[in-house]
Amino acid sequence: MSLNFIYFAHWKSLWDNFKKSSMSVDTAIAKNMSEPKRLQNLSEDELSVELVSAGVSALLFIEILSRYQQQIYYHCRNLLLSHDDADDAAQNTFIKVWQNLHQFKGESRLRTWVYRIATNESINLIRKRKPTIDFDEAQPEMADMMSEDLYLSGDEIALKLQKALCYLPFKQKLVFTLRYFEDLTYEEISVLTSTSEGALKASYHHAVKKLEIYLSVLR
Amino acid sequence: MDLENEKIGPAYIAPDTYFKESESRLLHRLGIDVNSPEATVPNIEVIKPEAVVMKVDTSGIQKRARKQDPLTSKSVGVYKELDAVGKVEIAPLTFTTNENPEWVNFSAISEETSGLVESLNITKVTYGDLLNPLDETMALESAESETSISEPMVVESVELESIEVESAEIETLETFEVTGFAIEEVTAEEILVEAEMLETLEEAVVEPIIEQNLESTESIIIHEVPESVGLDELESYIAPINATKAPVIEEVLAQEEQVINLEAPPTAFAPIAGRQKESATPGWLGIAASFAAIVAAYFIWNAIQPPKTEEAMATELQQDEPTLIESPLDEPVLFKDTIPDGLQLVEPLINGEMPNYKEPNVYTIIDAKEMPPRTKRALQDLEDNGLTTFDMEDEMFEELDFESL
Repeated sequence: MSLNFIYFAHWKSLWDNFKKSSMSVDTAIAKNMSEPKRLQNLSEDELSVELVSAGVSALLFIEILSRYQQQIYYHCRNLLLSHDDADDAAQNTFIKVWQNLHQFKGESRLRTWVYRIATNESINLIRKRKPTIDFDEAQPEMADMMSEDLYLSGDEIALKLQKALCYLPFKQKLVFTLRYFEDLTYEEISVLTSTSEGALKASYHHAVKKLEIYLSVLR
Repeated sequence: MDLENEKIGPAYIAPDTYFKESESRLLHRLGIDVNSPEATVPNIEVIKPEAVVMKVDTSGIQKRARKQDPLTSKSVGVYKELDAVGKVEIAPLTFTTNENPEWVNFSAISEETSGLVESLNITKVTYGDLLNPLDETMALESAESETSISEPMVVESVELESIEVESAEIETLETFEVTGFAIEEVTAEEILVEAEMLETLEEAVVEPIIEQNLESTESIIIHEVPESVGLDELESYIAPINATKAPVIEEVLAQEEQVINLEAPPTAFAPIAGRQKESATPGWLGIAASFAAIVAAYFIWNAIQPPKTEEAMATELQQDEPTLIESPLDEPVLFKDTIPDGLQLVEPLINGEMPNYKEPNVYTIIDAKEMPPRTKRALQDLEDNGLTTFDMEDEMFEELDFESL
């Protein structure tokens, strides 16, 4: 009786070990095969955790690129208006993301981090084009840049809004763009611009009022 | 128009082909292989500090270290904030002779620092030291192999004819004439003229140091070197004893010895004979006289004018300004004062197409955070109903660092 039990326990342990090892191999194979898919299914927070814990990899960067490429392009385009400038700024943004990805500590949201780099790149490009620019002043002459450019939607009111944005100071334009078009929360914009949420709300409120007046006048 | 309720879409729509092309372009630029991205490692440039061979204790140096612009003579402090850091390890430095020595302040490094075994052994060598091998430091370095003349002797003048110079060491002394005795062909002997003696000799130029184990080599002579000669040319002034002085050298020496004529050159201007006497007439009298002349000319001009005709007087009266003052009510009403700040750009539009535009009731609230909740709610209600607008904008973007990531 006891001998049979010992044999049974021995064979069971062998079977368990075999089962466990085969499962781990299957998991590893599946993991390698579907790593991009697994990353695609991760939420933004999970992706941040993955980035901090597992380190930088090209797969992670490609995932970040595919997630934020369009948003960053449109964000740069709203700030810079020109397609070529927006393309340059977006390219430089992701080059800096790749070069500095190992410095991301996960203290802010990944999207906020990428947006901040894109904003800095856009500002640098504006300064490069016009070194004497004053960001407290509106730049109405920028509206001329978007008269005939690539990838315009053709929506007349949207175009009018973009032209009206040129009559805002850059800081108000930035806050309005991030909030209205990109749907960033005040908390995210606060981190991105290092400004208090109250000031952002006031700035957004002022921008909306000015734009409404401008659009009603143009009608 | 209510922007917040009527959502306006984006003005730009880029096709997917653009984004795919942009993605592949970016990955190509970064060197990421899309087919095997796992093999790609980010090329993070990490600058590794070079291995420190020697350490220099720079504590207290930076306060004194200043660089001076040789043109403007302005001196600027260098890296004062490094004092707060403490001890700094500096990698070995290489200075080329092309650098302006005024920009490297070796005096800032204390001697006790430079004398440490583990630190840089920096010896101050001036241009005069290089020309004159009579250097106390060099004498100390070769002190072990040197013996000094124990007998006191009085040296009045030293005439040195031939010395071999090789890296500040004099190997052979052919003729060494001293008042009282003369030394000829002194080789393989050790002579050290002590520094104390040499200090008393104003004319002493070279301290003869003879090394024991060196054989007599071909004697050479150092010609007198003009002051204008640089270090790189110094070697060319070492020539064999029998060699004659180069004509160029003598020419340069002759030019230097030429007495400079300090007398002022003759000028083409004759000297002023003497100081002219000042006029006794006071200045105000001239001013008064000229004023009187102008007044007199005015009256004379009026007197000689022909009398005006009646027609001319009538025309003149018609051209006079009207005495009727326009009423301020006739002025057009402008809306400049009613346009709030920030809307000046659309001012023409507002004035032209929105004559009834009135300034909204804007109140500035400074301490919104400290308000009681009820007040906040009341303010919010007022704003929601369009009765007023509260300006809570503060120092926006004051802390924003656009340059940092």
